[in-house]
Amino acid sequence: MTCLKSIAAAALIVALPLGGAAAGEMTAAETELYEAAKGEGTITWYVSQTTTEFADGICAQFIERYPGVGCNAVRASGQVVFQRIQQELQAGALQADVMSTNDDGQMYRLKEQNALAQYAPENLEHMVPAMREMADPENYWITSGVSPLVIAYNTRLVSEEEAPKNWTDLYDPKWKNQVAIGHPGFSGSVGLWTVMIEDLYGWEFFEKLEENAPQIGRSVADGHNLVVTGERKVALAPLSLIEADARGKNSPIAAVFPEDGALMPPSVTGVMSDAPHPNAARLFVNFILGPEISEYLASDYRYPLREGVPLAEGMRPLDSYRTNVIPIEEGMARVPEIQTKFRNTFGI
Amino acid sequence: MTSFQSTSVEWSGETPVPQKLSWFQRLQPSSLLWLFLAAILVVLVVAPMSMLLVTSFTDGATGGWTLGNYVEAYGHERHVTALTNTLKMGAAVVVLKLLFGVPLAWACTRTDMPGKNFVRYGVFGAFILPPYLGAVGWILLAGPNTGWINRAWYALSQSSEPLVNVFSFWGLVLVTSIGGFFLVFVFVSTAFEMISSEMEDAANMLGAGPVKTAMKVTFPLVLPAIIGSAMISFLGAIALYGVPALISIPARYPVVVIQLAEFFSFPLRVEVAAAYSIPLLLITMSLLGLQRLVLNRKGYTSISGKGGERRLVKLGKWRWAMFGYCFVVVALAVLMPLIVLLMAAFSKNWTSFSFDGLTLSNFYYVLFQHSSSQKALITSVSVGAVAATAAILLALCIGYIVQRKLLPFSSALAFIAVSPFVIPGIVLAIGFYAAYAFPPLALYGTYTILVLAFVTRFLPIAFTTSAAGIRAIHPEMEDAVRILGGGRLEAVRSVVAPLLKRTLAGGWLLIFVPAAQELSTAIFLVGPTTRVVSVVLLDLSEEGQLETLAALGTLLLLIIVAVVAVGFRYLGRDFMLRRQ
Repeated sequence: MTCLKSIAAAALIVALPLGGAAAGEMTAAETELYEAAKGEGTITWYVSQTTTEFADGICAQFIERYPGVGCNAVRASGQVVFQRIQQELQAGALQADVMSTNDDGQMYRLKEQNALAQYAPENLEHMVPAMREMADPENYWITSGVSPLVIAYNTRLVSEEEAPKNWTDLYDPKWKNQVAIGHPGFSGSVGLWTVMIEDLYGWEFFEKLEENAPQIGRSVADGHNLVVTGERKVALAPLSLIEADARGKNSPIAAVFPEDGALMPPSVTGVMSDAPHPNAARLFVNFILGPEISEYLASDYRYPLREGVPLAEGMRPLDSYRTNVIPIEEGMARVPEIQTKFRNTFGI
Repeated sequence: MTSFQSTSVEWSGETPVPQKLSWFQRLQPSSLLWLFLAAILVVLVVAPMSMLLVTSFTDGATGGWTLGNYVEAYGHERHVTALTNTLKMGAAVVVLKLLFGVPLAWACTRTDMPGKNFVRYGVFGAFILPPYLGAVGWILLAGPNTGWINRAWYALSQSSEPLVNVFSFWGLVLVTSIGGFFLVFVFVSTAFEMISSEMEDAANMLGAGPVKTAMKVTFPLVLPAIIGSAMISFLGAIALYGVPALISIPARYPVVVIQLAEFFSFPLRVEVAAAYSIPLLLITMSLLGLQRLVLNRKGYTSISGKGGERRLVKLGKWRWAMFGYCFVVVALAVLMPLIVLLMAAFSKNWTSFSFDGLTLSNFYYVLFQHSSSQKALITSVSVGAVAATAAILLALCIGYIVQRKLLPFSSALAFIAVSPFVIPGIVLAIGFYAAYAFPPLALYGTYTILVLAFVTRFLPIAFTTSAAGIRAIHPEMEDAVRILGGGRLEAVRSVVAPLLKRTLAGGWLLIFVPAAQELSTAIFLVGPTTRVVSVVLLDLSEEGQLETLAALGTLLLLIIVAVVAVGFRYLGRDFMLRRQ
């Protein structure tokens, strides 16, 4: 397995005599990167993986650990982030240093365009192996999170028995005018979700769903808000946002783990090959895999990246429910065509 | 001055022989100035627009000549539908804006309706409220299940169908209209103020009743203003990006700007986007031509002119009905969306608003915690201010040269300066992107490209304002300066500039307000460090963070209102509600 080989190689290169350093202490390689990064200034992080609030939180911790290095998170939906990077690449004026997305196909394309840098951060060593293996075997990007897409419902308006059990329940006529989904033309993970649903049920699923007049947002990140406010009773939403609302803010929302499988889009992060702040960018990517961020992820009802970091209370372990993964080549090949089909069916 | 030519045996007469000037002698300061201004206009207007045209015929892969972009742009039914949808939407918006603007203008200028000041302030509020904030306000009001109006409706009627749905064609039309009817109001009020009552009296004396007088005299006299403002309304409606992004996607009503954004997503097809925008440009140009044709055939434009007595129409018992109508318009356009926005800005969850739950946390968050809000506020205000200043200065130079006929071909400069008027903001952005984003200039994501694009976008307003101001200053006064030995610059400094101060400051504000809110032009030009508030708001709306969004929007409004209030103090309250 090239993946393991290169991780081993990376481990050799960084030549760490002992295991991982505890939070606070810096390893030799880290110190070296930090020194180089200090002169570079502020990195620009294009992110669609998390909400703005969470991304800003990561930046704040990064700046705290590495004084003198800045971090500017620019959050938008996956396709919008990707569009801006493409525009910058075409204009020859790349501003992004690091990009995080829920659509690893975008990373694959960037790699094909020679726009990504190969980088195996030393913290890869301590990652949950299953997550590490979702990344690029040649280390052009790392896995920076997993946020399963599930069904959210409003607990004040919908009882647990009434709530949908699987994806096909979404086109049940009882949810007419009550469903919300995202748009695969804007959101990366909705693109993969659309591929998954077509695989499971064929395109008829969307024709039936269309009859329920779903509210189509741009990002997948606003579905949970629509459910919390009661604007829609059920919605396609990332598990972490539902749990954070339900457990963190006591909002009337709960998650359904569809029997036919949640979508598991790996969130991925890569360093741009022409990053204006190359060392700071690498320092940042390594930091994402560090213990602070895994704890931060867990505290916000997301899955931690490192081994040994406990899940937030009430979170179901990843292997306790059914998930579907869309292989990267397949997602990449099919998302553009599926965007067109979606636009034809839903007229937008 | 005579001269003798050696080849001739006779005196050559009294005609002077044309002096031969070398190219160097021709480069006098004034021609240099002309060249300089022309060069600026080439950078701002001619180059981006030519680039747009050239790009639309360029093969993205090979760089060769092709018609393929047009085939790609218009070869899909969906793409054509977006264009026809846009035209339908634009037409409906024009009708609604006129229904809003014209009666209000009439009531405020020609009748004894009570509460005129309230209505004027309300209309002005509609100008200050950016369209996308109006849209968010209306989403809070008329979201099908939780909008305030619908919640009240469900509680009262026990119905299961929403009373109003903002995510619909009419929602889109209403929200687009409320932002833009300010211009209709301004143009048409000016026209009403020009009509002397004597003309209406003449019709009365000849036996025409009030209705006939209105139809035969008053209405035709304001028709040019109505047609002109209908044009502007249409252009404004079809080029807006924020409102469709917020409303037409959930309403599933595709329009041109959404389609253009699709061409800008992966795979990036600037060429196809350019090709797709050319017909939009042609439509606006032909509308302008049509307007000229309609107005030229009939000679009534020349009748208008100040002077004569203007009496107010006594509405009698209809006074309050008229006020009621005006109030409804102001409520729809400003009061209702603004109130729910403020409520959202001060609450944790907008649907469960309570006075006990009021919080400043959203404001604290956007000001001190959110990564880009604080900087975006500064960027929006400074880019708006720089662009407004640059546009006014440039317009002043061109306007002065044109009005005083100082240089040959100056009318060409005037034509170019007003031409961006027909270019929809988003199309302008694509032109700028095609012309300046790439190396060697590589201006993508810089403040420079934003300022340049904003200057271009608002140059027509700046030019019309300054040109009108200069026209009102008699050249005699400048001649006096020059007779006393002052140069042209001295004349401008000591006569023109002081006399124009008010006009220019008014024009500056007229540009600053929309420039600080501009979204359509900014959307493809901002980089990660040059994000303006409008773009940050749009990104926040994707996440559905309506409370945060409302707080940031409120801050932007506060800053704009503060700047305008300073303007009011300095210029008097009426300066913007009357055309300069």
